[in-house]
Amino acid sequence: MSTCALSSLHHALKRSFEVLEQTQERWNGALSACSPLLVSLGNLGEQMRALQRAPLERTPMRAFPDLRPRLRFKLLQAADALVGKLLEQTSVLQSLRDMMSNQAAAVFQLYAQHADALELSSCLRRSATCPSVADMMGWLQDAERYYHNEFLKRKVLLETLRPNDVSDLQTSPKRWESLTNQRGDDCITGEARRASRPASCQPMLRCGTLSPSRVSHPFRDIVQGGVLQRVLVSIV
Amino acid sequence: MKSAGKERMVESECAPASGRKQMFTGSARKLRDTAADWHNLMLKWERLGDEGSAAATRIVNLSVSKRAEKDVDITAEDDTSFVNERSGSHAELDKDLQDGCNELMNILEKMAHIVFKMEKISSSVKGVCALEKFQQEQGRSSVSPLFQTWPVTRFDEVSSKLYESYKQELALKQTIVKEIAHTSDPDLLLVYLSSWLHQPYIEDNTKLLLESLLLETMHRTL
Repeated sequence: MSTCALSSLHHALKRSFEVLEQTQERWNGALSACSPLLVSLGNLGEQMRALQRAPLERTPMRAFPDLRPRLRFKLLQAADALVGKLLEQTSVLQSLRDMMSNQAAAVFQLYAQHADALELSSCLRRSATCPSVADMMGWLQDAERYYHNEFLKRKVLLETLRPNDVSDLQTSPKRWESLTNQRGDDCITGEARRASRPASCQPMLRCGTLSPSRVSHPFRDIVQGGVLQRVLVSIV
Repeated sequence: MKSAGKERMVESECAPASGRKQMFTGSARKLRDTAADWHNLMLKWERLGDEGSAAATRIVNLSVSKRAEKDVDITAEDDTSFVNERSGSHAELDKDLQDGCNELMNILEKMAHIVFKMEKISSSVKGVCALEKFQQEQGRSSVSPLFQTWPVTRFDEVSSKLYESYKQELALKQTIVKEIAHTSDPDLLLVYLSSWLHQPYIEDNTKLLLESLLLETMHRTL
């Protein structure tokens, strides 16, 4: 019974990490699509700043007295269009976040269903080639949290962006760039690859446990601290 | 014959109104051809605008590089060999700048020609409207719309509005071309580029006017 439950949990986890790997690729693709839009937004900020400062009245452009408001209107319109496109891209990020959230929820639901049949020791057992169920569930939760936070940070930036504020526009590419959590991104990529491709995961599970220092994954601190504890609590 | 050719051009881009093509004669035919002319001229304008934007950006970049090199020369004017070496690079920059300006001038000339054609078609629409009005007064023509809903005066209003927008935009572009290579203020340079690119005198409703004109003359369908 326990073996059967463990096997189905492993299967669900493996599928989730495969989804995570695809999600990460699509996530990076969506972020890459945002970068040129952000650069354009920054350029529009520069143009607005130049329009504010340019001494048009001292040049032949004074023959066009309504040029400043007209050009400003056009620039604002262009900025609005860009923000619209960026929000479209964030909806892609949102759908990816929701997908990962559903994956994690499904795995935890499966765990809850089989919680009585699963032995604590089997959930915690690691091997040289396969992490423990607790580890993988922790990573999945970390991944879910990562996408949630990354999406929210970007959404908030775009929602609070005021196209008529020049400095807001000018600094938007840098602020967007500063949101990139490179460490988290590397973690997700590493974990998705590690957990979705344990070729002989099932047989190796019973090959004994590995010392924690050998299980080197970027979320080790979290897994050994908060997340693992949470998994244990739910097991108990 | 010329207009008929243009009509084919616009119809290849627009979906045909229905399976069979309606035949128009007289004023209706003339106004329908004019609508196709507007569409094609505005497309050409857009294309030239993009080419001009690229040329103007190149000119600005060259001017900035030239000024930067001048600044370097001022700081290193005691070093004669260094200054001689730089003079070759100056000549090259000057040539590139001249080429860029010539290119922009050519583009502007073509744009001016487009606006000239727009003026012609606008005045021809005015003529058609006057003729229709005269014929209606004489009772030789019906008061009903030539196509779907527009009274004949609406064609004149739309043509005049479109022409005024492009005329004003051309005047702005002419001023930009005169100034762009002689300005050192980076803010002004950016405003020139920005103005060229965003065309502040061509409002969004010009596109709407064109589309409604194409729709009314049955070049487009709903």
